[in-house]
Amino acid sequence: MGLDTLSNSLKDAMKKLAGKTVIDRAAVDELVRDLQRALLSSDVNVKLVMELSKQIKARSLDEDLPKGINAREHVLRIVYQELVNLVGKEAEFSLKPQKILMAGLQGSGKTTTTGKLCRYFQRKGLKVGAIGADNFRPGAYAQLETLCKKINVPSYGDPKEKDAVKIVKDGLAALKDVDVIIVDTAGRHALEDDLIDEITQVNAYLNPDHRWLVIDAALGQAARDQAKRFHEAIGIDGVIVTKMDGTAKGGGAMSAVAETQSGIVFIGNGETIDDLERFDPNGFISRLLGM
Amino acid sequence: VLSEKDIEESLFELQMVLLESDVAYPVAEAITEHMKKELVGTHRKLRESADDVVTNALRHAIEEVLGEGFDLVSYVRTHDRPVKILFTGVNGTGKTTSVAKIAHYLQSQGLSVVVGAGDTFRAGAIEQIRVHCDRLGIKLIAHQEGADPSAVLYDTVEYAKAHKTDVVLADSAGRFHNRVNLMNQLEKIKRVMKPDLVFYVDEAVAGNDAVIRAEEFEKTVSTDGVILTKVDMDPKGGAAISIAYTIGKPLVFLGVGQGYDDMKPFTPSLIIDEIFGDD
Ligand SMILES: Nc1nc2c(ncn2[C@@H]2O[C@H](COP(=O)(O)OP(=O)(O)OP(=O)(O)O)[C@@H](O)[C@H]2O)c(=O)[nH]1
Ligand SMILES: Nc1nc2c(ncn2[C@@H]2O[C@H](COP(=O)(O)OP(=O)(O)OP(=O)(O)O)[C@@H](O)[C@H]2O)c(=O)[nH]1
Ligand SMILES: [K+]
Ligand SMILES: [Mg+2]
Ligand SMILES: [Mg+2]
Repeated sequence: MGLDTLSNSLKDAMKKLAGKTVIDRAAVDELVRDLQRALLSSDVNVKLVMELSKQIKARSLDEDLPKGINAREHVLRIVYQELVNLVGKEAEFSLKPQKILMAGLQGSGKTTTTGKLCRYFQRKGLKVGAIGADNFRPGAYAQLETLCKKINVPSYGDPKEKDAVKIVKDGLAALKDVDVIIVDTAGRHALEDDLIDEITQVNAYLNPDHRWLVIDAALGQAARDQAKRFHEAIGIDGVIVTKMDGTAKGGGAMSAVAETQSGIVFIGNGETIDDLERFDPNGFISRLLGM
Repeated sequence: VLSEKDIEESLFELQMVLLESDVAYPVAEAITEHMKKELVGTHRKLRESADDVVTNALRHAIEEVLGEGFDLVSYVRTHDRPVKILFTGVNGTGKTTSVAKIAHYLQSQGLSVVVGAGDTFRAGAIEQIRVHCDRLGIKLIAHQEGADPSAVLYDTVEYAKAHKTDVVLADSAGRFHNRVNLMNQLEKIKRVMKPDLVFYVDEAVAGNDAVIRAEEFEKTVSTDGVILTKVDMDPKGGAAISIAYTIGKPLVFLGVGQGYDDMKPFTPSLIIDEIFGDD
């Protein structure tokens, strides 16, 4: 079953509730089944989907139908509220001087997004700079430096230095005139204890204002456990979803948000430095539902 | 005799297992539907539970989908040299790292290799593949950033012909299947370098999108084999099943880490044992 058929069946299930003034159990069951299908096809975590559907079913059947709205609107509203509850509101940050630590799985888009964030703060009129603390990936600093040079933003890195904390320390000294500092780090995952230790140390030394987890829109079921581990290690307070210009739906990012009790800060939607958007919950949820 | 009712619950549970292993929803559904058709009405053996019947059937179904793999070294040995291999896939899946690992692997099997720096677009991409090749002592053909990737890869093939190199490994920029101009560029690369094999690279942690993009790459450039990376992040690697089911092309290698030796020629048990929790 393709995604188009899926979203159509969700719309059909919604239609069955349209015009009704009493909630009919069979119609709600059908709707919840279709909702599950849509969310699972968008990579929302299986357990999360099951919890969510229980909640929606219970509320739809238990709560009294508010005056003046029909059954369809009522259930739709509950579905929306529950999803907004989960994705949370847009994560907040200020335009003050600050330090931001980037974290995430290999290849998720940290370095590219570091460049995009430099551009974002630069446009807001702040003095910004980047530190390339990825001491592992070949060409990592060349990548970051190239991105920063294109927009005339200072960067610091040292491809020969193996100690990430040392790079951060030297970087802070080199960029002492800068207001907003973004620290790019090497990719790592939950099962790599030594690398999780490393980012824990970088975090302790840097003492950043924000720790943002970068998640590929296509990330599947693993998102929840991965996010959990990063959260335990450094306390994630925002998620950035990258590669939303592809066809993936970002359900993994939603699971990560639920796990870290944070919110989405930005959406990456392209490979160039301006392809960064603030998060819009409505658009994100519609896409998750395939509508 | 098994009735639909006997196996309904086990089938549902197995569908959940598949979904939790990152098998895409439509693929998980198709596999369980197929199993239902096969199983309903069959006789179960004495002392065999409905659960066991379903589990065994699923195992067979997955074995069938995954196939036996692809022996790259014997392919190279039995074809005209240079054997030209183009690596493609969406952004950040591990193409460049896989090129380096496979170059290392082929070299260790006594084959000579030249790498083409076909990603002339992404910042730092040429530097990345250059460092890998320097470390491994492998010849690299590169132009500068912004150059035409087809031209670099053409030059790489010419180099291999002139130097009687066994294998050409062509890196390329990550691209999304929904970007028409980038997919056209890939078709042009294919026309110019005429690869013997196109390897499609995706990652084990990809969810449902794995199906959509595999389908699109298959449609535009037609692939010959699949490399699944980052299996160390998510050993269940359900994406292997999604992709193999969708495009029916053999899995060639599994990437299991960031070291040069972290590349395993694919065998089905690598995935199946993880999903079914065997040792
Ligand atoms: N289309 C698209 N591509 C993106 C986006 N964000 C990042 N990319 C691409 O994804 C790939 C990986 O991005 P990187 O920034 O190198 O990822 P990373 O997390 O720094 O990778 P490591 O440092 O190796 O862990 C590159 O090809 C980027 O151009 C996005 O929003 N859209
Ligand atoms: N853990 C793990 N990391 C991997 C594996 N394969 C690649 N990586 C890492 O994933 C990141 C991205 O790998 P690349 O080889 O740059 O990916 P790519 O597909 O060439 O990326 P683009 O060219 O930007 O599209 C790097 O940090 C690699 O070290 C793997 O099997 N396991
Ligand atoms: K990725
Ligand atoms: Mg990086
Ligand atoms: Mg690459």
